[in-house]
Amino acid sequence: MKKLLSIVLLSVALFAAPRVGDNAVKFELPDLYAQNISFKSASLKGKVVLLNMWASWCGGCQEEMPLFVELQKEFSKSKFEIVLANIDNEAKNGVDFLSKVDKKRSLTALYDADKILPKAYRCPGMPSSFLIDQNGKVVGVYIGSLDTEAILDLKKTIKKLLGK
Amino acid sequence: MKTTSLLLLLALFMSACSEKLVRVMPYEKEYFAEDKMSLSPIAERAEQEGHIFLIREASAGGESSFQGGCGCR
Repeated sequence: MKKLLSIVLLSVALFAAPRVGDNAVKFELPDLYAQNISFKSASLKGKVVLLNMWASWCGGCQEEMPLFVELQKEFSKSKFEIVLANIDNEAKNGVDFLSKVDKKRSLTALYDADKILPKAYRCPGMPSSFLIDQNGKVVGVYIGSLDTEAILDLKKTIKKLLGK
Repeated sequence: MKTTSLLLLLALFMSACSEKLVRVMPYEKEYFAEDKMSLSPIAERAEQEGHIFLIREASAGGESSFQGGCGCR
């Protein structure tokens, strides 16, 4: 019976999504605008990262995107980076939307055609965002669109992580 | 122990008979988000379509209880 219980627990653990305190998923994805350029998550070491999974067809994603542009602008001189993983079936749709909102291309935009990240994080909703600290640990999970109030709370957490 | 194993085997056997339901994850709903998948793709026409539906269906006990099917509302 104990064996059976351990097998069940192990299977649950294998399929569990990363939670607060877990290590962030390592990845290598192409840039959304220039897909011949590859981006590795290792390059984010030492930075506070907000990893956002989004799609152009998702209303909530569209709503929060201008707030992300503002957020990145506010922390432009800090070790904070917003990384967007677009999961559109066609990258063009993502590019069309994002180039209107983020004209200066201040956000790191990647293209996740195979939906590797949402699968790895087992996103229960769209959009989903994960705040990752300098050591690569998940410190915050945000399911659904972030509004102005949520962004204010997020800013506090980011400042705390950056030691400001 | 024997009973547990038998029950587990039975559960496994029964699960093979169950319908295979596919859960569409939120990140896989791109096609569902398309306009053509909407129940009422043209919002401006929704009211008119609703009115026609009532006229057409009322006499057969459709959505409305106060229409006679004459379309004169």
